[in-house]
Amino acid sequence: MTRNTEAALIVAASFLAAFGVTLVNFARGGSVDVQTSLTFLVFLITFGGLQVAVRTWAPRATPLLLAPIVALTAIGFLEVYRLDVVRAGLQRWWLLIGAGLAAMVLALLSKPGTSVLRRYRNLILVISIALLLIPNLSSDWVFPLKGLEVNGSRLWVVLDLGFTQMQFQPAELAKLGLVIFVAAYLADHQRALREAHRQVGPLRFPEPRQLIPLLAAWGVSVVILVWQRDLGASLLLFAGFVLLLYAATGTTGYLAVGGLLALLGGVASFLMFDHVQRRVVAWIAPFENYQDEGFQIAQGLFALGSGSLAGAGPGLGRPDLIPNASTDFIFAAVGEELGFAGSVAVIALFALVISVGLGIAFRSRDTFRKLLAAGLTFIFGIQVFLIIGGILRILPLTGITLPFMSYGGSALVGNLILIALLLRISHEEAL
Amino acid sequence: MNGPIRRLAIGMFGAMGALLLAVTWFQVVRADDLKTDPLNPRPALTERGKERGLIVTIDGTIVARSVEDAGSRDYIREYPEGEAFAHAVGYSSFLVGDSALEAAYSSQLRSRRDLTISDIVAVILGRDLRPENLEITIDTGLQLAAFEALGDNKGAVVALDPRTGAVLAAVSTPSFDPNLLLGDDAAQQWETLLIDQSRPLIDRGTLEIYAPGSSFKTVVTATAIDTGTAGPGTTFDDPNEFDLPGSTATISNFGGQRCNDGVSVSLLEAFVRSCNTVFADLSIQLGAIDIAITAEALGFNTEIAYEWSIPQAIWPTDNLVGDDAALAQSGIGERDVRATPLHMAMVAAAVANNGVVTNPYMVQRIFDAEGQTVETTEVTRLGRAMAPETASVLAQMMERVVTEGTGRRAAVPGVRVAGKTGTATGHGDFSNPWFIGFAPVESPTIAVAVFIEGSPSSGESATGGSLAAPIASKLIKIWIASQS
Repeated sequence: MTRNTEAALIVAASFLAAFGVTLVNFARGGSVDVQTSLTFLVFLITFGGLQVAVRTWAPRATPLLLAPIVALTAIGFLEVYRLDVVRAGLQRWWLLIGAGLAAMVLALLSKPGTSVLRRYRNLILVISIALLLIPNLSSDWVFPLKGLEVNGSRLWVVLDLGFTQMQFQPAELAKLGLVIFVAAYLADHQRALREAHRQVGPLRFPEPRQLIPLLAAWGVSVVILVWQRDLGASLLLFAGFVLLLYAATGTTGYLAVGGLLALLGGVASFLMFDHVQRRVVAWIAPFENYQDEGFQIAQGLFALGSGSLAGAGPGLGRPDLIPNASTDFIFAAVGEELGFAGSVAVIALFALVISVGLGIAFRSRDTFRKLLAAGLTFIFGIQVFLIIGGILRILPLTGITLPFMSYGGSALVGNLILIALLLRISHEEAL
Repeated sequence: MNGPIRRLAIGMFGAMGALLLAVTWFQVVRADDLKTDPLNPRPALTERGKERGLIVTIDGTIVARSVEDAGSRDYIREYPEGEAFAHAVGYSSFLVGDSALEAAYSSQLRSRRDLTISDIVAVILGRDLRPENLEITIDTGLQLAAFEALGDNKGAVVALDPRTGAVLAAVSTPSFDPNLLLGDDAAQQWETLLIDQSRPLIDRGTLEIYAPGSSFKTVVTATAIDTGTAGPGTTFDDPNEFDLPGSTATISNFGGQRCNDGVSVSLLEAFVRSCNTVFADLSIQLGAIDIAITAEALGFNTEIAYEWSIPQAIWPTDNLVGDDAALAQSGIGERDVRATPLHMAMVAAAVANNGVVTNPYMVQRIFDAEGQTVETTEVTRLGRAMAPETASVLAQMMERVVTEGTGRRAAVPGVRVAGKTGTATGHGDFSNPWFIGFAPVESPTIAVAVFIEGSPSSGESATGGSLAAPIASKLIKIWIASQS
């Protein structure tokens, strides 16, 4: 596949988004309107612009990554538009902002390359932890940057410029920074970590002093997130870290210990937080607790079942009945209106993105780039699995958004930067 | 390092595979269970709140409409004429489903803003998305009069325009208020109607078949005249009882009396007085097959296309060939002979229309939101059931029924009314009164069938002449007055 084919696919997927918006209009008795053209234009500028940036600053990057991302964004956008026109309008702005920032990342890395990230890993760690902490800023002081508490979780910052406010979840960017740090640290200490000296039962572990800085950095991050009650993000970060550690060392023991710790953490949070208990109840018996905890899960399953094979059609189902449909439950909304066909397409597109990402890691010669590509793909894939698996009752629901599909500006920006990093790595490997 | 990454890649694809399996489970295997789960509000909600088309009578009275709620912007269905139109118009309820016209024309009445690819194609072709509307042939005045005239009786009235087959009135009692089936308590209301012993949800006019009793003598008489077997002047024996061949049973006349002087009686006199003995005799003379030819030309044993699927009228030819006792009983509209009131109105209409049978219909035309006609119902002639001369003679005989016979109470001053009464076997001690007829004889514009299901409220002594004929009289009077 060439860059031109990729460009054609970007245009096609932009058309898909505009077509979806128009179908929703039809369902409401409307017709082709300004939303159609605006959507088409924004998609074209966002992803066309991103491709121009790739052509300029990472011309050898894989052409397989952008097209499925545009398709996923288009499918997600049409459901967000169907659920909330105002949010769809905001989402368009976030697309433009995200693409701008992703292009900036490509531009900044074009001279020094990704190795600069490895060099400044400690700075990146400090920035990431700072980002994690800013939502804990006071909500009512005079400075324009304030923390914000939403639904009992402290995940938001508000940039209050007087004439306008911007809300942001800094954890979405901190996640990337932490992956960069972990990948760089593991690349630097790879040999030492692999030479395991300490025997614990049947498992062998390296010298503690090799691991302690890493464990500390990662432990602090997870503790901050638990403190802020962002349990989904802490689970995501925890799992991503364990997988990366295993990828770097090949020591199966990390997976076993990681799994055990995750289980312990799950039990502990079940005992500590009543909203975790509610989620477990909803997971085990959604229909028996339909009036209460189980309502969201049950509605999600009703949506999927009602969508059946071909779906109700854009704008013709009732995904609006599902609480938080445009964020946590966007997958159920797609399943209801685009049917089994749409659900399978979405899962297949995510699988494609994951395979391209891991393929980049696979072909990387440089250890840091290999680990970074793998780590970014892991947190992407884990996120997909956690939220869709939560909707499909494979595991309890964790409040995580579906990359590129859910409504949410911070996530969109974070994920576009993630893709930009993957593209940059694939460019460097092709040199 | 590629080793662990490969293993993790396999794990990730395993996870995606698990997602695929789970989504298959919920969207394919368990889809129908989830879709129809009583907790799932979707099936009800998709029906509810959507605009449906108008149903308007030919005189412009709205009998079904959707009104937009100012707050929720949902549409609420209304049936302004309530009970009188309940069985003709039906209901469209998000909890208990659709009935009658609301069910038969649901695809035209629904808003096109909700379905899938075909609707999108319609939009691309520039078609209107708003629901289409029905104009029905019912005359509001006649319909309301029929509902009032039936009163507390269980029964049905069907009036047709004999020239076209257009339904002028179609009422079944007891009725129900379709508006009650639209609210949140629709299921309870429906349950109450369902267990009601008087069966108010049943349309007795088009969906139930009953023994037509002596009103069926019109069919036998038409056969006799058409085949040349007998005319109005042909005389028959006049016994007190007619002995059924091969049986110890007998057929007697109403009240157990002889018909005329005990010696002989003409067919005209027997028809006017509705003598069973003569028609038992005549039926055997005609034979099951000849009667079947006329009956089937009148639509018996045949699928009749109506707005909804209706049961066939029955003349059980095969069971009657070689069984004269059964044939004699069937010739007076008893035993296994069955017809809907709608069908007996068709029989009267055929006599009124010089022997030509027209297909009954209720929807005159379908029109779009702009008032433009989308489709008009064409009058369909099903064929000729009897010669024009036969129809003319039979019409005169039926007029005599009203002027001097059992149907005197169907008379309307200044209007030549023709008719035939019937008092058929019903449940228990109660018989089912009938009257079928048409008017004015010289140029008929209305054919009517009145059916009463015998019950304590109609009384044990009720006959077609005493109970059904006066109802026909009222309707013909109102109709003729409205036409001039």
